[in-house]
Amino acid sequence: MTVSRAGRIWGLIAVQAARRDGNVSAADACAAAVAAVSVTGGWLSAAGDGDAVHLIWIADVASDQLAELQLTLGEGPSLDASASGGPVLASDLGTAEAARRWPAFTPAACQAGAGAIFAFPLRIGAIRAGVLGMYRTQPGPLSTSQLGDALVFADTATLLLLDAPGQAAGGSGAGAGPGGQPADLALHRAEIDQATGMLTEQLGTGIADAFIRLRAYAYVNDLRLTDVARDIVARRLRLYPDPGPSQDGEV
Amino acid sequence: MDGQLLSETFVELTDTMVADFDVIDFLHVLTDRSVVLLDVSAAGLLLADPRGELRVVAASSEAARLLELFQLQNDQGPCLDCFRTGQPVTAADLDAEAQRWPRFAAAARQAGFAAVQALPMRLRDQVIGALNLFRATPGAFDPANVRIGQALADVATISLLHERSMRHSDTLNEQLQTALNSRVIIEQAKGKLAERLGIDMTQAFSLLRSAARDRNLRLADLAQAFIDGTEPLTGDAAARARQRPGGQVRPAPRPSSWPRP
Repeated sequence: MTVSRAGRIWGLIAVQAARRDGNVSAADACAAAVAAVSVTGGWLSAAGDGDAVHLIWIADVASDQLAELQLTLGEGPSLDASASGGPVLASDLGTAEAARRWPAFTPAACQAGAGAIFAFPLRIGAIRAGVLGMYRTQPGPLSTSQLGDALVFADTATLLLLDAPGQAAGGSGAGAGPGGQPADLALHRAEIDQATGMLTEQLGTGIADAFIRLRAYAYVNDLRLTDVARDIVARRLRLYPDPGPSQDGEV
Repeated sequence: MDGQLLSETFVELTDTMVADFDVIDFLHVLTDRSVVLLDVSAAGLLLADPRGELRVVAASSEAARLLELFQLQNDQGPCLDCFRTGQPVTAADLDAEAQRWPRFAAAARQAGFAAVQALPMRLRDQVIGALNLFRATPGAFDPANVRIGQALADVATISLLHERSMRHSDTLNEQLQTALNSRVIIEQAKGKLAERLGIDMTQAFSLLRSAARDRNLRLADLAQAFIDGTEPLTGDAAARARQRPGGQVRPAPRPSSWPRP
């Protein structure tokens, strides 16, 4: 079930990119997500150094306002999602609960035309890539299947953001497109996370770069990510800091 | 069944559910206690991710073979059946289940288990996950223990919804995803610590867990700080090494055939 969902979602993102006539990007994932889960609009902010965030995509004027309001007021669903590591699903901004949660943001967001806001942290464990925000003019929760889709779109946007040139060294070409290994990634594997943690030590890098190197190694050597991760965890394979892959190898 | 131990466990579990509640650590305590109370060899808690996967959030052992058995149940096995039906699923003898779950039964037998049970984590009409119990010997599960196991599964469900009211499915889904992401952070931190100290994943996990308790931090917060480099854990590693027989903290073993240091 998971594999078909991931495949369908990659397809929607590829169509979005083709319509724009560009390479598949995180913004395409977000635009496709907004269309697929029936929300009015959305925004994508990428995590910068420290607490900095960069707004890199907006669906419409109201999306821009909603994203900016949170930065200005210092509160809101995007910031909470970023802090907690879980999504923030505010399906009715008219409730007292929403007003309590974000006293300044809630009335301003309603003023901007939002009835519901959903914010998805673009995270893989400790790796922080950004936040995907969505809004609806009418209040109402996401259905289970919409929520499932939104989470997979967010996972995909996370990978695309990490792979974007300039985001981190060595990130380009690491299986970002549909020819990569989306199905493999959609199905969660503890070994991938453990191997990523081990690579921070082997490579002397941060967690995001370690993950990018792990995927790049699998991609370049035409191996399944899970198999590479398993070899690293079993200490059969070790990667080395730059100058790179030529020295990586079996133990 | 040890009634004293049972009541102590429930007191301990409810005592933990206070402010600064660490749901991940709590669920680990719960799986640990399940093993003792229910006389089983291993226990794990799986949550149903809205993405369409079952994902392990806590286990009585971090052994890779056990984690593999949980993951395998995305395709087949008692947890998947339990999740789909909302009913307990039991196999008293895995040797007799080769047709029901060919891959799962074989993998479970290979890991040394002979009987398995999955108890639903239910919230009203919704099944949010399952408590998965493994035993090394075949035979029926004691009905009294099954009732206690179900009570523990219910406690696990409530703990996930502890922080705010459970009126909204929004809240449930937020909590669920946060717990799942916490688990990923912990796996990443286990890898980093295991590599740094040349220890296995089980040792890395217990070191992280005791370090979090010493500092009164949530396990996931400690793991995040360790990955970010703001919490080096050097003191903990040294203390741990002193407790180990022949204890020195050793760097990762480095076979001579490796290309270069």
